[in-house]
Amino acid sequence: MLEQHQLTYKEGLLVLMGEKRRRFWRGLSIALALMMVLAACSGKSGDGGGSSSSGQQSGGGSSGASGASGGASCGDPFTISAFIGAPHQTPTPDNRIYKKIENELCVKLEMEFLVGDLQQKLGVMIAGGEYPDLITADTKLVAAKAVIPLEDLIEEHAPNLKKHYAQAWNKMRDSSDGHIYWLPNYGIIHGEFFQTWYAGPAFWIQKKVLKEFGYPRPKTLDEFMQLVRDYVAKHPTTEDGQPTIGYTALAYDWRTFPLLNPPEHLIGHPNDGGVVVRDGVAEVFAVKDYAKRYYQELNKLYNEGLFDKGAFVQNYDQYLAKISSGRVVAFFDQHWNFQAGEDNLIAQGRIWDTYVGFPLVYDTSIRDWYLDRPLPNLNNGFGISKDAKDPVRIIKFLDALITEEWQKILSWGEEGIDYLVDENGRFYRTPEQRTQQEDPTWRLANRAEALMGYIPKIEGTFSDGNATSPGNQPEEFFESLKPEDQEVLSAYGAKVWTDFFSPAPENPVYYPAWQIDLIDGSEAAIAGQQMTDTSLKYLPQAIMAKPGEFDKVWDEYVKAFDRINVQAYLDRVNEQLQWRIENWATN
Amino acid sequence: MAGVTQDLAPRESGAVPVNRRPSVLRRMYNQRTLILMSAPIVAYVILFSYYPIWGWTMAFQQFRPGFSFWEQEWVGLKHFRFLFGDAAFLNVLRNTIAMSLINMVLGFVTAISFAILLNEVRQRFFKRTIQTISYLPHFLSWIIVTGIVANALSVEGGIVNIVLMKLGIIREPVMWLNEPHYFWGIVGLSHVWKEVGWNAIIYLAAMASIDPALYEAAEMDGANRYRKMLHITLPGIKPIIVILLIMNLGWILEAGFEVQYLLGNGVVIDWSQTIDIFVLKYGLQIGNYSLATAAGIFKTVVSIMMIFLANTIAKRLGEERLI
Repeated sequence: MLEQHQLTYKEGLLVLMGEKRRRFWRGLSIALALMMVLAACSGKSGDGGGSSSSGQQSGGGSSGASGASGGASCGDPFTISAFIGAPHQTPTPDNRIYKKIENELCVKLEMEFLVGDLQQKLGVMIAGGEYPDLITADTKLVAAKAVIPLEDLIEEHAPNLKKHYAQAWNKMRDSSDGHIYWLPNYGIIHGEFFQTWYAGPAFWIQKKVLKEFGYPRPKTLDEFMQLVRDYVAKHPTTEDGQPTIGYTALAYDWRTFPLLNPPEHLIGHPNDGGVVVRDGVAEVFAVKDYAKRYYQELNKLYNEGLFDKGAFVQNYDQYLAKISSGRVVAFFDQHWNFQAGEDNLIAQGRIWDTYVGFPLVYDTSIRDWYLDRPLPNLNNGFGISKDAKDPVRIIKFLDALITEEWQKILSWGEEGIDYLVDENGRFYRTPEQRTQQEDPTWRLANRAEALMGYIPKIEGTFSDGNATSPGNQPEEFFESLKPEDQEVLSAYGAKVWTDFFSPAPENPVYYPAWQIDLIDGSEAAIAGQQMTDTSLKYLPQAIMAKPGEFDKVWDEYVKAFDRINVQAYLDRVNEQLQWRIENWATN
Repeated sequence: MAGVTQDLAPRESGAVPVNRRPSVLRRMYNQRTLILMSAPIVAYVILFSYYPIWGWTMAFQQFRPGFSFWEQEWVGLKHFRFLFGDAAFLNVLRNTIAMSLINMVLGFVTAISFAILLNEVRQRFFKRTIQTISYLPHFLSWIIVTGIVANALSVEGGIVNIVLMKLGIIREPVMWLNEPHYFWGIVGLSHVWKEVGWNAIIYLAAMASIDPALYEAAEMDGANRYRKMLHITLPGIKPIIVILLIMNLGWILEAGFEVQYLLGNGVVIDWSQTIDIFVLKYGLQIGNYSLATAAGIFKTVVSIMMIFLANTIAKRLGEERLI
């Protein structure tokens, strides 16, 4: 069989090279020519930035620094590519706000949204060495020299941004070389800031539980868990017959804080990530006694059948699904992290199944410190990559968006369409406008949320006294509350959800430690990864241990932790805390 | 290939006497069309298989992306020392090899048995239907399969627990995915479910090429069905089995990534983490590209060794070989 095959092969060759050789050559040259044409074409499309920068020259003058009015359409808008580091649905092509931006600022946005894991995506981007113009902040990109310093650009071309960031300017500098690479997207406060909705960490419990027991106000972990126990004993199943889950904890991918962070809060410290900072010195608390106390309590819950058996095999989507089923009585988390699940409950009108957050501590002598003062969301937001053809044009675009005029359009919407102004100049929405805003499909066509999440923004109040977003406008907030929520709040004599928390003390200069860059590939980063791995391995075992075996597992955990180079991690954190004390204090 | 061209050259040019070997340049000129035709392939191999080997230098540097080659810091064998000094890596190596072997053995045994059984089915329609149904899961991606597996093994309403409880084998639901020692088995069985039908196809094809006369002769000699399977079908597909085995041995350090990544969790990490996951976590996610490269080199070296080993063994046994 083989022999035969060889023969035909040879024959084929002979034919090719014989009298048909000419034709073969001709065919080959045509193929080559085709390839060249194709290559030329792809080269052109890959160089898309070039054509758009020529467009910039024609439109550059008309749409400069200010978000000047006048819908004078500019023939060829300047295209800015942007990578958004979070999953998001693509806005509709004729989205009203993006259209407005295109018409009035002459900028067309090409946004790419995250699919899958962010670190992986960035790793691939760095390995490939090609970046979009605007890129989601990550310290990895600074190390890879993928982004350009912004301070001179801002000084020269962006007066509005300069004014906006004045108070945070020094904090925004990178601790390694003093350059500013990122434009923080949150935490720059202007005027007065009304915190109404609470986004941060807390122990959350369903409103129906509070109602059932006459609106108690649990202060300690014990009181809180007693509520959970009493409620589940009374209601082993939900109204639709599914078993009630007393308490759950998420620890999936990078969202490990619902499992790992509670101990620091329970002893009255603010959210510093994996460390507790006392007088500028950090300590890792994972295996401390005050951590053990919390996990031992969870172990008790587990053995009483109140702790979610599927807690440690659930991924983020399953966790949200669980919450939106209304079966979970209580858990620890940050509000923004489970908000999507709660939104589902609200959409179903199941307000009693949604949650109230309580700032728990171990005993009443400890003052809770959950609520903190807004701080610049450092190492977040956008940066401009080295591949950007015209950084000046991009910074001017961002500078235009930070003007109050555009901030109002982005957060409130268009006057007359999305909100109205009363005789006192206060912004408000009609009930229909509010309902409209709750519809995700409508928002995809009429809001620029994906962009809004990442660009610099004004928070607090505008110069006319209106809050920078409807949710922070006190009267608008009360009006938008559901009757059930109003009932809960008034039962506690509270007006907003943050009233459950002690007022935020002044932030220490170095706060918060979780924003510290461990430097990719360093000993500290490796130790950090190992610490997380070890905790995620032993904590579930300890929580699910049989009664009496908890201590044994805990000891193994401590031993495994001792083998890690925790000091390398601490050294880096402490060094950075010191750096902040020296460089930020004067600010 | 070489034989072909040598034969061909004199015949094509015609003028060169057969008994004299022409100079290399002359031969190259005569075979220019062949050279031209193979050029793209050679270029492809150089570009995509040999050129990337240059990247191995990263394993001996403290590689920082964005810096030129000359700015990198050389660190010698530091990353290899970290790999082999880290208890976690040895653990990971064990998991990888174990899961790989389980997958391979289970894969071979089930696929071959399935193919033989299917081959014995007389009714054509039934046979076709079974075959189609059995290889359909192959086209599902792992993310879907792991979702199905996780659902089936769930503590709350997972079908496996329900069935076992109804049968009275267990009294309360088992947390399959939270029990480290079950993990390898779960991965092995998931692989079987997904791939058995697909893997059987090649054996079925091999069986189809067995000369029917052999079966007839065996029948004359009074062999029953089992005898025929044992003495005709199995030896008939033996060369295919050996070739596939050699090829698969090269992948011994590729126990897979998605299954373990998607089904694993913190509790079972000691049994679920494979080399690829380790590299992702300690290499790519924290930006330690050098470590990832070092692990990659290790994998490649082991793969090449395994292929040569299997090839040699096959040669000793007098079977088909790959190289």
